[in-house]
Amino acid sequence: MTTRDLVLAALFAAIIVSLGLLPPITLGFIPVPITAQSLGVMLAGVVLGSKRGTFAVLLVLLLAAIGLPVLSGGRGGLAVFAAPTTGYLIGWVFAAFVTGYIAEHFVDRGQTGLVQGVNFFLAALIGGVVVLYAFGITYLALVTGLGFSKAFLGSLAFIPGDCFKALIAALAGRAVMVGYPLLPQRA
Amino acid sequence: MKTLYVEGDSLLHRLAPRTKLLGLAAAGIALFLFRSIPPLALAAVISVAIYASLGIGLRQSLARLRPIFLTIAVVALFTLLVGSVEEAATVLLRLTSLMLLAAAVTATTGIGEFIDEITLAAWPLERLGLVKAADIGLSIGLVIRFVPEILDRYHAIQDAHRARGLKPRVLTLAVPLIILTLKNADEIAAAIDARGIRAQR
Amino acid sequence: MDIRFEEAEARFDGRIVLHPLTLSLSERRIGIIGLNGSGKTTFARMINGLVIPSSGHVVVNSFDTSKDGEKVRAETGFIFQNPQNQIILPILKEDIALGLKNRKLSRQETDVAVARVLQRFGISHLAGRRAHELSGGELQLAALASVLVTEPDILIMDEPTNQLDLKNRELVKRTIEGLDENIMVISHDLELIEDFDRVLLFHEGRLAADGRPADTIRRYRELTR
Repeated sequence: MTTRDLVLAALFAAIIVSLGLLPPITLGFIPVPITAQSLGVMLAGVVLGSKRGTFAVLLVLLLAAIGLPVLSGGRGGLAVFAAPTTGYLIGWVFAAFVTGYIAEHFVDRGQTGLVQGVNFFLAALIGGVVVLYAFGITYLALVTGLGFSKAFLGSLAFIPGDCFKALIAALAGRAVMVGYPLLPQRA
Repeated sequence: MKTLYVEGDSLLHRLAPRTKLLGLAAAGIALFLFRSIPPLALAAVISVAIYASLGIGLRQSLARLRPIFLTIAVVALFTLLVGSVEEAATVLLRLTSLMLLAAAVTATTGIGEFIDEITLAAWPLERLGLVKAADIGLSIGLVIRFVPEILDRYHAIQDAHRARGLKPRVLTLAVPLIILTLKNADEIAAAIDARGIRAQR
Repeated sequence: MDIRFEEAEARFDGRIVLHPLTLSLSERRIGIIGLNGSGKTTFARMINGLVIPSSGHVVVNSFDTSKDGEKVRAETGFIFQNPQNQIILPILKEDIALGLKNRKLSRQETDVAVARVLQRFGISHLAGRRAHELSGGELQLAALASVLVTEPDILIMDEPTNQLDLKNRELVKRTIEGLDENIMVISHDLELIEDFDRVLLFHEGRLAADGRPADTIRRYRELTR
């Protein structure tokens, strides 16, 4: 990793931490308030690509693990890895990687704005929702002994908010690509 | 950023970080091996005793543990609704014990100690050429350094919205925040190289 | 100090930023002036190897920047335009110690070196402060301390008085006057360099004038008229 890659990942980790310090946003049509932090995870993949995006997310989790209150709501310390929702934190790493991987391979500067936007949205949706919930629900099911279908039922309420975040991530990803392109491009 | 470390001189404070981390891992495995209520209840009592021995104080402890305990409680309640009392109690006791033990390690281990431990643990990875152990400490420092600056910038962008009569929205806040922040990366990277901090390959 | 440019040229994305330049520098205090985009920052960055010439060579104290980047950077200190980005770790004294890391000093030796450099710039009271909370002038002094703690032979400063209020500008100017290192200062603040030993003027990627400050500054005024 070059020094620039290291700095980009660290700065993005700082952005993810900052997003967690901001008050949660309530959207009119969704019952659960959404935190901007998991939006940051999708953004890391969309803006930085798989490698640097994954490193940024790993850094945030490392900071939390060593006792800094960097997760939304001021959570931190090893105890956050002892919660029933820990699977979502582990899922972040893979969410950023998959989002970044898809964005790198399917978004191209030659495409029209609409195609770029749709591809970014699919990247964020597959990485930041499908992959994330696969980890989150599996962990919840195993750790509580609830079983998959019940664990899925319990997580259902959060899915609309995360789909909305994928949309925001796609729009932001495109805007950042226009303003300050960083995504490693296919040869 | 305030860390969750608490000054003190308890037994846990004096234990080596590695001993505590290995102990926590062992406790985590043990907690998932117990399947009946009595040993789990005993584990919970011991965990409460260990956490209480740190002398953090009730109010401060509640503030620290509440967010995580709430998720545990919600999941336990949900388990009760869709499962049995025994299943719900298992979830509650097991995860609460683990949370208390993890929080106890966090409260008694300083960030520097953790970073030293991580750097040591990363050494085999460095031998494989995957990461540079020293980069981990540097990256952690960079994040802590830039969070306040990013928050300042966020508020400045918010003010800029207001000054122009625009309603601040997630998208119009996030995009300039990301671009302005990442644009610094080139100069910060140049400074790190110019100061010879990260010895080149 | 001995800096030599041998037909050194810099290009970015195929565009020439600095035309081939041959030049030798050994004066203790050198000023660099020119319009925005004239190539002066590129010139300065070539001296510490942050920019490698696309053709030709830059040799600093007998080290070629394209081959011995690490050694060249040990010889040269660089203060960036925005010192905000130069302080890398949260607490000032930690940041200053960071530059010494590759020296393999003991913790005690590091502490002594950090304390000494803080004292030198009169900012010992800022040792435990967060970099984020420092004022413009304090930040500039902190950047100087973080760079000079490694005792480079040459110090390059990119617009050190940029964005400072009058009081802080005076403070930084006096500090620069008091430095006994070899210094090279890029500045739009002509007063800052008017008593230097030699001043270079860059214009459209070429060296347009080179000599005593008064002569070079006069040429600069003619160019911009």
